[in-house]
Amino acid sequence: MEIKGSVALVTGGGNGIGEAVVKHLAKQGAKVAVVDMAQKNIDRVVKDIKDMGGEAIGIQANVTSEADTARFIKGTLDAFGQLNIAVSCAGIIRDGTMLNLDKETGKVARKLGLDKWQAVIDTNLTGTFLTIRDAAEAMVNGGWPGLLVPISSVNKAGQVGQLNYSSAKVADALMPKIIIGEFLMRGIRNVRCVAIAPGYTATPMLTGMNQEALKTILEDVHLGRLIAPEEIADLISHAVQNEAINATTIEITGGLCYPNGIAK
Amino acid sequence: MTTFIYNDLHFKLEARDGSWDLGIERSGTTAYAGVGLFPGASSAEAETKAKALARTIFPVGVKCVGPDVAHPNTIGDLKIVGPDVAHPNFIYWNKDSVSCPRER
Repeated sequence: MEIKGSVALVTGGGNGIGEAVVKHLAKQGAKVAVVDMAQKNIDRVVKDIKDMGGEAIGIQANVTSEADTARFIKGTLDAFGQLNIAVSCAGIIRDGTMLNLDKETGKVARKLGLDKWQAVIDTNLTGTFLTIRDAAEAMVNGGWPGLLVPISSVNKAGQVGQLNYSSAKVADALMPKIIIGEFLMRGIRNVRCVAIAPGYTATPMLTGMNQEALKTILEDVHLGRLIAPEEIADLISHAVQNEAINATTIEITGGLCYPNGIAK
Repeated sequence: MTTFIYNDLHFKLEARDGSWDLGIERSGTTAYAGVGLFPGASSAEAETKAKALARTIFPVGVKCVGPDVAHPNTIGDLKIVGPDVAHPNFIYWNKDSVSCPRER
């Protein structure tokens, strides 16, 4: 599929990986819908795209809401008349181990709260489902060629302290296989699905963290640095243009390994 | 340039290189709801499409009222912040609202 002239929708498009994807696609001539919770971020990204001579709309929305999802899909169609690429970047973390023990008694002092579990599942899994589902509906009903891109994570392999996040991201990684299997059953041939599983990426969330802790993380990355959001955007661009890539999850980690050198 | 007001938002539709930019006034500056829209559309067509787009992107909804942070109830050091009951949009359980009276 050609990027120039296509229409892309990116949730979480107001910062981090989503912002990089939006700008990368806009630079290559795609019309883009920037969907985000933070209006300030949307305004900044849309202004940047205006300055580069691109075409964009900004829609403030909550991806966990079915009504909001319907609204940002319709807004994209109202503005650009079609939809070809949907990238579900919106995501959050609420880390914590499932149980915390009292050091003196050895008994459980605290449990991972349902609020922390539910918030992550709602945004990272249900939000992705709603975006991918409604984008696919628009693509199929419109008869437009399309690519659906759930964003998983290398932590789908299982990360301590992230039972909620890893559970959502492993489910996101499974989506392409199931969705494309169903599309084959239903005779839907012009819409593909490819998930991307980034490793540690230079987003504000990571670059703002304790630099000593970050240094320790990078000791396990073969590349020796964080992945740039633009490198992830470049991979998504490649997936858009190469229609043989389908029904799979592609990792982009720089060679992230477990301590002592087994690739994660 | 065309301007219109919808949902308390002030919109500004401007032509640019054969397409249209839809601006919104926000805190004295112009933000953009969309740029490079409706290529080749006439001024009238662009205005119709811009209004439809604004209706989709900025739906009219219920605005939350409160909390009334100026008048917290206190229990010791604990401050309990309730809704702003003095606000004209506050709806009581035991009193009919003007805009939404009980059906008889």
